[in-house]
Amino acid sequence: MTLSLFDQFLSPVVCWIPLVAIAITLPWILFPSPTTRWLNNRSLASQNWFLSQATSQIFLPINPPGHKWALLLSSLLIFLTTMNTAGLLPYTFTPTSQLSINMGLAGALWMGVVILGMRTQPTHSLGHLLPEGAPALLTPILVIIETISLFIRPIALGVRLTANLTAGHLLIQLTSTATLAMLTIMPVTAIFTGILLFLLALLEAAVALIQAYVFVLLLSLYLQENV
Amino acid sequence: MLSRLQAISVKVTDPFVSLSLVQASRSLQTSSQRLAPVPPLPDHGGKVRHGLIPEELFEFLYPKTGVTGPYMLGTGLIVYLLSKELYVINHETIYAICIGTIIVYGVKKYGATVAAFIDSINEEKVAKAQAAKDSHISFLTEAIENEKKEQWRVEGRGMLFDAKRNNVAMLLETNYRERQHMVTNEVKRRLDYQIALQHLNRRLQQEHMINWVEKNVISSITPQQEKESIAKCIADLKVLAKTTQAKAAA
Repeated sequence: MTLSLFDQFLSPVVCWIPLVAIAITLPWILFPSPTTRWLNNRSLASQNWFLSQATSQIFLPINPPGHKWALLLSSLLIFLTTMNTAGLLPYTFTPTSQLSINMGLAGALWMGVVILGMRTQPTHSLGHLLPEGAPALLTPILVIIETISLFIRPIALGVRLTANLTAGHLLIQLTSTATLAMLTIMPVTAIFTGILLFLLALLEAAVALIQAYVFVLLLSLYLQENV
Repeated sequence: MLSRLQAISVKVTDPFVSLSLVQASRSLQTSSQRLAPVPPLPDHGGKVRHGLIPEELFEFLYPKTGVTGPYMLGTGLIVYLLSKELYVINHETIYAICIGTIIVYGVKKYGATVAAFIDSINEEKVAKAQAAKDSHISFLTEAIENEKKEQWRVEGRGMLFDAKRNNVAMLLETNYRERQHMVTNEVKRRLDYQIALQHLNRRLQQEHMINWVEKNVISSITPQQEKESIAKCIADLKVLAKTTQAKAAA
């Protein structure tokens, strides 16, 4: 049976039972809630340390009113990191490779940030449409360009994540198919493709972590502008 | 599970009664169930062989199948899945081998370092608390020593007061003596004055008397007597001069 290359991105269904909900919620058990102990085991200690470091780093440049978003952005970071890295394992479905999930997250969060900015400090938010230090003649064109860039942000956020992960998974599938196909015919070429697959897997691991971080970082930047 | 059923079935609003019910059912279980102190975490996790398979499986199969039992089971299982094509070798298998190698390599190489780092996070926490406790203890010890020093100082204070008291007494004594001295001097001065006054009186009296006597004597001397006395004086003088010349010549 020949599989199309994009079959890995189909939402998994077993006997008409959609498994995507399990795919999204099951990684939750990897992060146990903090116990009543003072000193925890290694996994809890490392998770707590990582989360506190990442959150403090992300929220360092944001004003205190924006710190209300700490829980949301840190849980988003954990969600994206887990989804991406879990998708690296074989035979898994990566929910964040679906445009629906990424656009849902990006659109909703971006709009929340913009509306917050427009409601609490409209002058300051609208002032971002004209960067400082720009020559007066370019003002009309710059405002138009900045508005377009403002509205492209959610699309960019969502599509960036989707494209990166989809491309990575597709490449992995292609390379592994090539390796398997050539294993019997041209073993030496298969070995080279195998090496390529190794490097690609390493790259995908890095991309998984980086893309999640970039998503959250950009949202925190938009928050910084508007809060 | 039975304890939960019990807790749900008995609709009590009083938390103590429901809790005691749960605790009563727990007496059937073997482990000690208490809320505090929290039982300590075991030092090491469950033993695993080859990083995946828990040791309990090997121990379970050992009595019947010996040491090679679990390995035969594993091999047979894999061969069965492959031969019956229950597990199809496809491109994902190649990728699975690839990512499996990466994960195993990563864990073997960096596992110990990461574990040591995570342990250091916990140790830092403990060290901070310990440092706070130690600093507090040292602060209190210092305070105790300072207090003891103060008490010693207070003992010495008595000596200081004695010395001061002596000093003051000496000053008073000196002052008293000085005043006595002054008194004696003043009295002596007054008495000296009186004595000098008396001496003066007597001297004046004497002088007056001598003057009167002289005056009377001089007035009583007649010119005849004066001539006679002068002639006698001259005669005496001549005699004296002769005797002197004679002595000188001899």
